[in-house]
Amino acid sequence: MTATERASGVPDPIDLDRAEEARLRTAAGLNAPSQQRHGEYAGFEDIGLPDRPPQTEREAEVYSLDEGEMLLNMGPQHPSTHGVMRLVVKLRGEVIVDIDPVLGYLHRGIEKLCENATYTTVLTYVDPMDYLSAMHNEYAPAIAFEKLYGIETPRRAEYIRALVVELERVSSHGLMMGFLALDMGGLTPILYAFINRDEVVDLLSAISGQRMLYNFFRVGGVNFDVNDEFLSRLGTWRSQVLKNIEMNEHLITDNEIFRGRTIGMGVLSGRDAIALGVTGPNLRASGVAFDVRKAHPYSIYRDLEFDVITQESGDVYARYLQRIAEIKQSIHLIDQIIDRMPHGPVQAQVPGIVRPRPGRAYAAVESPRGLYSVYAISDGGPTPYRFRMRDPSFISLQALPKLMPGHLVADTMAVMASFDPVMGGVDK
Amino acid sequence: MAIVDPNTGLNRAEAPIIVADQAPDDELLREFGMEEHPQGGFHGLLEVIPTKADYVLDLIRANSLWPLLSGLSCCAIEMMSTATSVNDIDRFGMFPFRASPRQADVLIVAGTLTTKMAGPLVRLWEQMPEPKWCVAMGTCTTSGGRFKRSYSVVQGVDRVMPVDVYVPGCPPRPEGLIYGMMKLHELVKQRRGQWSTYVDRGPQRTRWEGDVR
Amino acid sequence: MEHLRRPRPAAHPLGRGRSLTTPVAVGPLVRLLTERLGARARDLWTDEDAVEIQVDGQDNVEVLRTVRDDPDLEFFFLTDAGAVDYGIDAHFEVVYHLFSWKHPAWLRVRARVQRDDPRIPTVTDLWEGAMFHEREMYDMMGIVFEGNRDLRRIYMSPDYRSFPQRRDFVLPDDAADSAAAGVNPLERPETWDLGRLRHAAGATFAPAEFRADAPAEGPHDGAQDGETAADKSRPR
Repeated sequence: MTATERASGVPDPIDLDRAEEARLRTAAGLNAPSQQRHGEYAGFEDIGLPDRPPQTEREAEVYSLDEGEMLLNMGPQHPSTHGVMRLVVKLRGEVIVDIDPVLGYLHRGIEKLCENATYTTVLTYVDPMDYLSAMHNEYAPAIAFEKLYGIETPRRAEYIRALVVELERVSSHGLMMGFLALDMGGLTPILYAFINRDEVVDLLSAISGQRMLYNFFRVGGVNFDVNDEFLSRLGTWRSQVLKNIEMNEHLITDNEIFRGRTIGMGVLSGRDAIALGVTGPNLRASGVAFDVRKAHPYSIYRDLEFDVITQESGDVYARYLQRIAEIKQSIHLIDQIIDRMPHGPVQAQVPGIVRPRPGRAYAAVESPRGLYSVYAISDGGPTPYRFRMRDPSFISLQALPKLMPGHLVADTMAVMASFDPVMGGVDK
Repeated sequence: MAIVDPNTGLNRAEAPIIVADQAPDDELLREFGMEEHPQGGFHGLLEVIPTKADYVLDLIRANSLWPLLSGLSCCAIEMMSTATSVNDIDRFGMFPFRASPRQADVLIVAGTLTTKMAGPLVRLWEQMPEPKWCVAMGTCTTSGGRFKRSYSVVQGVDRVMPVDVYVPGCPPRPEGLIYGMMKLHELVKQRRGQWSTYVDRGPQRTRWEGDVR
Repeated sequence: MEHLRRPRPAAHPLGRGRSLTTPVAVGPLVRLLTERLGARARDLWTDEDAVEIQVDGQDNVEVLRTVRDDPDLEFFFLTDAGAVDYGIDAHFEVVYHLFSWKHPAWLRVRARVQRDDPRIPTVTDLWEGAMFHEREMYDMMGIVFEGNRDLRRIYMSPDYRSFPQRRDFVLPDDAADSAAAGVNPLERPETWDLGRLRHAAGATFAPAEFRADAPAEGPHDGAQDGETAADKSRPR
């Protein structure tokens, strides 16, 4: 390891690395004297400009600098708490001219790992994708596998699934409100958001045993039934949640600074949003009333009453208001689910290793970030032949190079936080 | 008096002893009993005061460890949950999550480390000034965790940097992380961390985004 | 063109409940597709809530443009674009999923791409949001999208040389280093069913000793319903 003392005689990997790098650079013609830095900056590589010629047109467009432009690297570690994303921002002064998101710092190869895992294990592998709303990550694969296997889940299982999924939506949207304020410098709303999140997460740990990566769904239902602790915590939470959300809301919604920084910022039109593949609250804040729960209903959503709310302006403030409205809709849905929950089993009887017939299935659910879908192909064996996930945050990030040019550097965080990407889902 | 290096707290017996404007010589060393001390420390009466100063210095360090804001993945959310109101690590002095590595003391690697991110993370580690500690939070940083067979996950962050405390869990509960931080406090006070054997290579590291297995 | 309906297996005795998604009326959609697309759409297949057609790789832009712009079809939203590798002696497939307000079913368009020198036209002119999908397909499978302005790797480093989601890219088995090595049948090469990979001579993946040990029967062949892998591999 490079970080500890090394016995003499053993070549240090850093030296091997350096030799290899020098060889590659010479071969690429990059060791010309004009390209080297001297003095105390010797060894500091350029940040942002890749040390190879641009491979594509778009890369050449972004990385070629005109007079007065510079590249700023908002690197994989930055105070915005969306995870590891790198934004290479081309600036003219303070104004953004172009932006290039570099992803993949959290790519874990989940799709490939799932090809070697049984169908139940797949439901545990997909949890850490969109880790703020892990139940949705399991919901779409569960539906797809049930379509492949050809079974129907018990009604009580469907209601429990919808209940936990709406709880996750409340928690996740509350966190978005907190992160949006945090990225703009307000440190209090995130604390309120995490109070709410901790209550919801303790609630869900009472039913599934885990705080965050729940491993709760199974092919054919859910793993555990509700218990007394869950119900008592649910009652306590339900009596406090609206007050909690309103406490957060009153702090920032009418705040002069918040409004000044978010109204009119990052305006996304409905037509552009559809072309870019943006879904979820971001799309509905641009005026398009597309909600998977209404457009292509799954599970019990056909029986529950809720509205698809849209906003007109499509700016950061609209996306924020959209999420508050959706929290209230979700609480209304939770009330209906609690009223109507039937008795019965919570898991259909399936064998330990599910072997569906060969076929293909596609299932899409509405996650807090948009349309999350799974395309699964089965070849008759115990593991899926191909397990493909479409994550909404990944596709929503394509909107950034369209929205950010023209704004200031300080607005990048506001616009990005309003899209609420989660890097686990972006990078799979 | 010998010069105590403020950064590492190690006593430098071989550092020159400046007493008024006399040149250092062996008689002076022998008088203070420092010539042949095996570890170059103090002897006799002089042991009492610097030892207490070291102890106080370690207490100061332990009770004011500032973590680097470097959450990678799901464990980062639990780290944030540890930092916020319900499980508060501000009571242990760790509220300011510094965004800049130059101001941070402890690097809590929270989340899966991938081969692409290994280069930037090691660069962050090297930019942190000593004394510094590293906490591997979660099973992904301990050993690769649930991504054991993945092609792009570093199988444990101790393959690229020295780790002081491992906190297992997927993700570990906030109470678990707090327990890990208490263990780190013990390490800090007993000066048992890895940074005392760390060799810093300065700003010479080349960019490195490749495979680190 | 065939219209096949997949036979639905009987519902499981304890799994009483609603269907997951209501079987939708796909008749009008099937008729429209056969009319508007003609010979380009092959093997039309319907599922409970999806209609699927197969097209040749080079026709994908025309088919998708027809399906998007036709006033009766109006599949305006591309919800997913993914790639499937059917084995190293078979082909790739790029699978598009589309949504329309006018038809209650998903439309799945499977575009076949040849395995050696995989090239297919890009759909970024129709939907800008296909850019990241295509970059991901290039990164993971190596399919080149002609006309894409930004076809570079998105998940792996730019200097990465392999295509991880191909069938001939086999995951390394680090589990052999751990203390629990060998407990899971997936970690023991003698239980692997390499027939599923359909490898030909010259494929570069497993060392020779694994292939020699590959058994004729897989770990789950001949298992009864309800019997798990542990039952088969339990030491006697």
